Amino acid sequence: MKSRRTAFTIFVFLFPVFIIYTLFMIIPLIQTFVYSFTQWNGVTETTFTGISNYVKLLQDKDYWTTFMNTLKLVGLSAVIQIPVGLLVAYLLYCKVKGMKIFRTIFFLPVVIAPVAIGLMFSLFYNSEIGLFNKILAAIGLGALQNNWLSNVKTLLYAVMAPQIWQYIGLYITIFLGALQSVPEEIIEGAEIDGANKLQILHRIIIPEIRNFIVISLILSVTGSLKSFDHSWIMTKGGPGVRSAYLGVYMYKTSFVNSDFGKGSTITVTIVLLSLLFTILLNIINNKYSD
Amino acid sequence: MKNKTLKILALGMSIVMTMGLTACGATAPSTDQTDTSTGKASSAAKNDKVSIVLATNWGEGDAKYDYFYPEFEKFKESVADTIDITLETYTTEDYKTKIKTQTASGSLPDVFTYWGGGMMADMCDAGLLLNVDDYFKDSQTVKREDFEPGSFEFYVAGDGNTYGIPIESTRGILMANSELFKKYNLEYPKTYDDLLACAKVFNENGIIPMSMGSNGGSPSEFFFSELYNQYAGAEEELEALPAGGAFNTANAVKVGEVIQDMKNHQIFPEDTVTNGGYGPCLQLYTDQKAAMTYTYPWMFESIPENIQEMSDVIPMPQMPDSTVDSSTIETGFTVYGCLINKASYEDPAKHDAMVKVCDFIASDELNSSLVKSGMIPCKNVEVPYKDQKLIMQKTLDYSEGKDLVQVHYTKLPSASAISEMESGLDELFINAITPQEYVDKVQESITK
Repeated sequence: MKSRRTAFTIFVFLFPVFIIYTLFMIIPLIQTFVYSFTQWNGVTETTFTGISNYVKLLQDKDYWTTFMNTLKLVGLSAVIQIPVGLLVAYLLYCKVKGMKIFRTIFFLPVVIAPVAIGLMFSLFYNSEIGLFNKILAAIGLGALQNNWLSNVKTLLYAVMAPQIWQYIGLYITIFLGALQSVPEEIIEGAEIDGANKLQILHRIIIPEIRNFIVISLILSVTGSLKSFDHSWIMTKGGPGVRSAYLGVYMYKTSFVNSDFGKGSTITVTIVLLSLLFTILLNIINNKYSD
Repeated sequence: MKNKTLKILALGMSIVMTMGLTACGATAPSTDQTDTSTGKASSAAKNDKVSIVLATNWGEGDAKYDYFYPEFEKFKESVADTIDITLETYTTEDYKTKIKTQTASGSLPDVFTYWGGGMMADMCDAGLLLNVDDYFKDSQTVKREDFEPGSFEFYVAGDGNTYGIPIESTRGILMANSELFKKYNLEYPKTYDDLLACAKVFNENGIIPMSMGSNGGSPSEFFFSELYNQYAGAEEELEALPAGGAFNTANAVKVGEVIQDMKNHQIFPEDTVTNGGYGPCLQLYTDQKAAMTYTYPWMFESIPENIQEMSDVIPMPQMPDSTVDSSTIETGFTVYGCLINKASYEDPAKHDAMVKVCDFIASDELNSSLVKSGMIPCKNVEVPYKDQKLIMQKTLDYSEGKDLVQVHYTKLPSASAISEMESGLDELFINAITPQEYVDKVQESITK
C-alpha cells in the first residue's frame, strides 16, 4: 500500500515535467530526426529522400568547416574555461579579502546577453574605431595590430574569444561552491603534514571535486556544441562559413536557405556529438573514480 | 499528514503546469512589438470584428517607423469598429526568419511587406500568395495603373502572375564629400586611375577613400551589381538570370578581380567585415573618416544635415576594360512591396477587411509619408521636391536622364542563391577566395 502511495506521489511530481519535456524536447527531437530523411523547403510538400541528406552532408565542405570550428571551440573552451575557472576559484577560496565582490564581478559577464557581448566585441575589434588595436599600440604591441574579423587567420579565434571569456565566471562560481564543500579538516590535516597550496590543490582538492569538474566539462562541451549567438551577431558565421559553428550552419541552412531537411540532419549530428562527448566524459570519470 | 500535504502540493503543481501548457498552446502573437488595442470599442463589439494580422519590418529603429506608425494609428482608428488589426514588427533579418518560419508552420500573416524575386519564389510555388490583380479588381481606390508599370517586375513569378504590390523603388548612389576633396585639392575620380590617385592621397592623410564593406553581403552585393553593369552584355546577362541564366560569367569574374584590386589598393577600409553593413559603412562617411561611400536612400534618414550639404552624388568611376559609360547608368529597381495571404483574402469573412488594409498600404497618404524617410515610391504620388531631404533632392537631380539598370539581388532565382552571393562577397572582400571561386560558388547554388 505504502509503495503504491509512493509511486503515486512520484508520478504526480514527475507528470508536469514529463509533459513539458516530452512536448518541447522529445517530440521535436523525433520530428527533427524524421525531417532529416526528407527534403523540405518549409513551404511545399516534404519528400522522403532516405539517407541522402546524410550522404550530402558528409560530402559538404562547409559542413566539415563548421564541424572543425565547433571542435576547436569545444577544445579551447575546455582547455581555457575549466583550468582558468578552477585556478581563479582556488585563489578566491584561499581567503582572498572581498571574495564575494570578486565572485560577483567574475560572474557578471555570464548574465549579460551574448548578443550584447557580441556587439561589444565587434566594435572592440573594429580596425577604424575599435579599442583593441589602440590598446595594443598604447602598450607597445603595435606590431600585433590586426584586422581581427577580416583576417582569415584570426577571424575564428576572434569570434571564439568573447564566448570563452564570457562563461569563465560560470565555472569560477561552480568551483567556488565545490571548494567550499571540501571538508576543511582534510585540508588542515594536509597543511599540518607540510603540504603546500599547490600540493593541496593537486592531491586533495581536485580529486575531491572531480564530479564538479566533470559536470563543468559537460557544461562547457555541450555549451560549445550549441554555440550560436556570438558568431551570428559578430559575423553571421561568415565570411562564408569561416566563423560559423554547427548551430549557425544549421540555422543558415534551415532558415536562410530554407532547406529544413538538411538543417534537421545537421541538428541530428549535433545531438549525436553531444551524446558522444557526454558518454566519453562519463566513461573517463568512472575510470578515474575506480 | 505530511504525505497528504505533499500530495496536495504535487497535485496543485501539476494542475498549474498543465494549465500553463494549455495557455502556451493557445493562439497568441509572439512578436517584439504587437499592437492590438482597438480604442474604446467594447468587448462585445470586438467579437464582431474581423481580425487581421499585418506584418512589416518597419518597426521601431527602422528609418520608416516614424513615418509609417502615425499613419497606421490613424488608419487603425478609422476602422476600429470593424477591424481588429494586429501589427507585428521585427528588425529586417529577424523579419525574414519570422516569415520563413511562419510559412513553414502555416501561419503566414494576412498582409505583409516582403521582398519579391527569389525571396518569394517558394511561397508562390506553394500557392500561398494572392495574384494582386485580384486585389486591384476589388479595390475601389487603388488600381494597377497607379503604379510605375516596370515596378511590378520584381513581383512577377515564373507563372507570369504578379504576387506583390510594389511599394519602394530605389537608386544606388555614390556620395562624395566635397569638402574633403577640396581640402586635398582633388577632383572627383572619373576613371579607375583617377580613383587610385585619389586613394593614394586620401590614404596618406588617414582618410578612407571609399567606405565600402561586406557583412552578410551588405552593401557589397549592390556595389557588385553597380560595377557589373559597366561591362558589355551585363544587362542581358542579368535579365537572363531568373530563367536559368548563368551567374558565372566573364563579367562577374572581372568585377570580382576589380573589387579585390580596389581592396589591395586600400580604397576600402582595411576591415571590411566590421565596417560592412549599411550602418557602419555610412557611419565612416558621416564621421568624415571616409571621402566617398556607396549607399541607398533607405539610409538617408541617418545622414546629418551638414553632411547632406557637403555631399555630392557622383558617377561611379569607370572601371578597367568596361565599355558602358558609368555616367549614363544608375542602379534603380523595385526593392520592396506588400504580399497578400491568398487563403485569408479568399476567406469571405476577412475579404473586405483585407481589401481595406491593402488599400491603406497602397494609399497615397502612406506613400507620401514614407517618401519623407528617403523612399522612392513605386506608386505615382505627387511629392513636392522641396519637401524632400536635401540628399534626396541631389539624388533625384542626379537620376535625371539616367538609364536604370538592375541588380543581381532582384534577379537571382532563389533565396539560397541570394544568400550564397551575399556570404561569398564577404569572403571575396577579405581575399579569402578568388573571384573565380566566388562566381562558381554562387553558380553552384543556382544550379542546385
